[in-house]
Amino acid sequence: MPHDPMIHPVADRVAGLNARYRNHAAQAVLERALTDPHVGRIALVSSFGAESVVLLHMLSVIDRSAPVLFIDTQMLFPETLSYQAEVATALGLTDVRTIRARPEAVAARDPEGLLHQADTDACCDLRKTEPLERALADFDAWITGRKRFQGATRATLDFFENEGDRRIKVNPLAHWAPQDVQDYMINNRLPRHPLVARGYPSIGCAPCTSRVAPGEDPRAGRWRDAEKEECGIHFINGKVVRGPLPKEEEQPMNMLVTDQGFGKDDWTNGFVSAEQIGAPADAPMLAVDLPSDTDPASLAGLLQGIALIRVEFPSFADGRGFTLARRLRLMGFNGRLRARGHVLADQYAMARRAGFDEVEISPELTARQPWEQWQARAGWQSHDYQSRLRGTA
Amino acid sequence: MYKYNDFDEAFVRERVAQFSAQVARRIDGSLSEEEFRPLRLMNGLYLQLHAYMLRVAVPYGTLNSRQMRQLAYIAERCDKGYGHFTTRQNIQYNWPKLPDVPDMLSALADVEMHAIQTSGNTIRNVTSDHFAGAAADEIEDPRPWAELIRQWSTDHPEFQFLPRKFKIAVTGSPNDRAVVKAHDIGLRMIRDENGEAGFEVIVGGGLGRTPMEGKVIRPFLPKADLLPYLEAIVSVYNLLGRRDNKYKARIKITVHENGIETVRAMVEEEFLLRRTAFGGADQALFSQISDAFRAPAFSVGPTVAYDSAHAGDPVFRAWADTNLARHRNPDYAIVTISLKKPGATPGDATAAQMRVMADLAEEFGHDELRVSHEQNIVLPHVHRANLPALHARLIAADLATANIGLVSDIIACPGMDYCALATARSIPVAQEIATRFEELRLAHDIGPLKIKISGCINACGHHHVGHIGILGLDRAGVENYQITLGGDGTQDFAIGERAGPGFAYDEIVPAIERLLLAYLDLRDGQEETFLDAYRRLGPGPFKAALYPEAERGRKHAA
Repeated sequence: MPHDPMIHPVADRVAGLNARYRNHAAQAVLERALTDPHVGRIALVSSFGAESVVLLHMLSVIDRSAPVLFIDTQMLFPETLSYQAEVATALGLTDVRTIRARPEAVAARDPEGLLHQADTDACCDLRKTEPLERALADFDAWITGRKRFQGATRATLDFFENEGDRRIKVNPLAHWAPQDVQDYMINNRLPRHPLVARGYPSIGCAPCTSRVAPGEDPRAGRWRDAEKEECGIHFINGKVVRGPLPKEEEQPMNMLVTDQGFGKDDWTNGFVSAEQIGAPADAPMLAVDLPSDTDPASLAGLLQGIALIRVEFPSFADGRGFTLARRLRLMGFNGRLRARGHVLADQYAMARRAGFDEVEISPELTARQPWEQWQARAGWQSHDYQSRLRGTA
Repeated sequence: MYKYNDFDEAFVRERVAQFSAQVARRIDGSLSEEEFRPLRLMNGLYLQLHAYMLRVAVPYGTLNSRQMRQLAYIAERCDKGYGHFTTRQNIQYNWPKLPDVPDMLSALADVEMHAIQTSGNTIRNVTSDHFAGAAADEIEDPRPWAELIRQWSTDHPEFQFLPRKFKIAVTGSPNDRAVVKAHDIGLRMIRDENGEAGFEVIVGGGLGRTPMEGKVIRPFLPKADLLPYLEAIVSVYNLLGRRDNKYKARIKITVHENGIETVRAMVEEEFLLRRTAFGGADQALFSQISDAFRAPAFSVGPTVAYDSAHAGDPVFRAWADTNLARHRNPDYAIVTISLKKPGATPGDATAAQMRVMADLAEEFGHDELRVSHEQNIVLPHVHRANLPALHARLIAADLATANIGLVSDIIACPGMDYCALATARSIPVAQEIATRFEELRLAHDIGPLKIKISGCINACGHHHVGHIGILGLDRAGVENYQITLGGDGTQDFAIGERAGPGFAYDEIVPAIERLLLAYLDLRDGQEETFLDAYRRLGPGPFKAALYPEAERGRKHAA
């Protein structure tokens, strides 16, 4: 049953939905949004851009037949078009609807395909905003992948938004941090947009998207050098000033966490991969990087000459590193053992008990989880059932 | 019963303090729900359809009266005055408010309980035979082993972030009441040819969307090797288990995809390495644990009161004949208190009922209670002379339902009424079946029968191992119930076979009625149970009863 905004005002439904799902996680919000009668007929709108695959995957797990609207502005990168087909097939989505501008409108307003050079807003209106508006006429609500961290215009984003008293906009990922998006893609082995690896963290139409330099805002490559922030489908009053590139800033360093506190990495001899472990002559200055899917048996007989082993944690939920550490210790490795990557402060005691000496974390994680949070778990030797059971207490 | 030592006590208090700080960070907004999730899951706190849900561990289902009273207190203070006992021998509170949770955990710690590892991708609360320590058919009480496993698995540094959740069950008896073949690891105590007790180790069983019977990985494991062997299995799984798809991440899929031979070879190799790390301290600890589980001093006395009540009081007799099981001491009985009154929610108990059960355990039952995976409460040691008085008190508390093992003793998951994953209602179906057979007065005539109902494909209601299993699904927005037949969770393990097309919500109870009336016609005398009749006759005649239309059509065609 379609919702009649005159009978059930959008603002009331949005307020109720936000109250009801305030404490829910992204997946739960999406799942409920698809079925809650207060939401009504709903579609996912996706650009099949850099991070779109997260919501598409969540949707495919819940309901592959839910409608997905893909706006083909006919100005997209060819990579986006092939990625769109690849993702839709891989996830088994059965109702992807491609939305385009009406040919007669394009013929009338942008016959040469050069409108974007003269007036980007008019181009967005023609190729994106208007076709989407038409497609959404049949829906009471639509799902977007917008997140709070994406800028000041989005900083107070709620799960459910009132779009001009006409429709509800659902933002299941509103509270996600950049790392959550990465974790989700890694954990679910999702295919990545090919342009991400080539320096495009946010992807729109080809003429108006450029590469982003390290350290720049991920959306800095959209309409670069223009006052524009949003294409118009998410238009909000109020402007953001995106900062310029940080000048001459020192490349931030990873932090080393030990029982003593935070410190800089004192290892300066570099790391090699397991396949590159060479002659024992390299010893004792050899340090090896191990991915989390290493088979520890493949290292039998090679541990003798290694000074430091660094085990990768691609996500805090990937607990293989803990068993790898224990195995290496049981195989007789006595050198330095380091966990590196997405390790949480709350996991520090586990890492130490499993056999690690230290943890290496990114500047971003260092900022989010200050030393006090690690210190709370630094007393890892007490309250430990394992040492009692092994007689090492 | 096991009593916390200073170490256990300090451990649990430390965890409460840690979690209280995390809750405070969540409430003041410095932790988002996404960041808070793994932390709350490590402490048994779920987010459900309507609210948070706290799942409290009842290790191997054993409680004393003080603990049961505390559960009643928490139900009154932080919930709506009741608790829900689950198929994992736990208790769940469905309506706690987040700011109350630290207080709840602290109240639990006061009686040596916790909610640690009742959720998350870790080794969950160990389950066991609810008749342990009392059953006549037992080789050894499995609970000291279960307690040893609890200590070993608690906060195990390697195993807090496994590919998926991991469940271990132990039974000390050849008659399996702990469904060990449907667990990630099942341990069944057996004797070798020299009479020495040890474990048959079973791995890779499970129900859920891909039901599988566990496979024997080690036919006989000496008891002293238990922890290093378990550690070998779980560490092999931690590295080998799939992490790309949560529906393929359980060890049953790992075993299925790699083959039991490959997994066994890897485990045995790992075991040799792991064994070196255990120097006997675990066995010393075990013998201390074991002392705590010594049988109570059974009282001696005449059982005349029981005999005369049994002869003279038909209501008592009906209850005694269904709800008592044989105790190893012939003057004693094992009492099962049914939480399955027809029309009520299976497994729910009010705070007042919990207090009555605690009182009865204290007065008549050597201060012991058990939660069974069939969602009832067991008093394992009651002298027969006390049974009439106990029964009278149960009647007064509305707890004297005489239906253990019968048609209305149904396992049901919470279903769409509480669970965010559910696709259909299950509790109302259980209630209506129970009420219907109450009206028909056929329960005792039908005899032993296990009906199990799940409200979604995840199978929390164990429908695969029900003699009659009911699975509620969502078909294009309409509830639809599939029936499976012939499942069995005991030592004769079998996964039920799907009978045919599903039934609508208003058709499912009549379908069960047709099925059971057909059984009464088909059986070879009163002694032949539903399951035996199904095994003798096969699905044919039962399907015919379920689908009379199709049957008529077939005959016309013939």
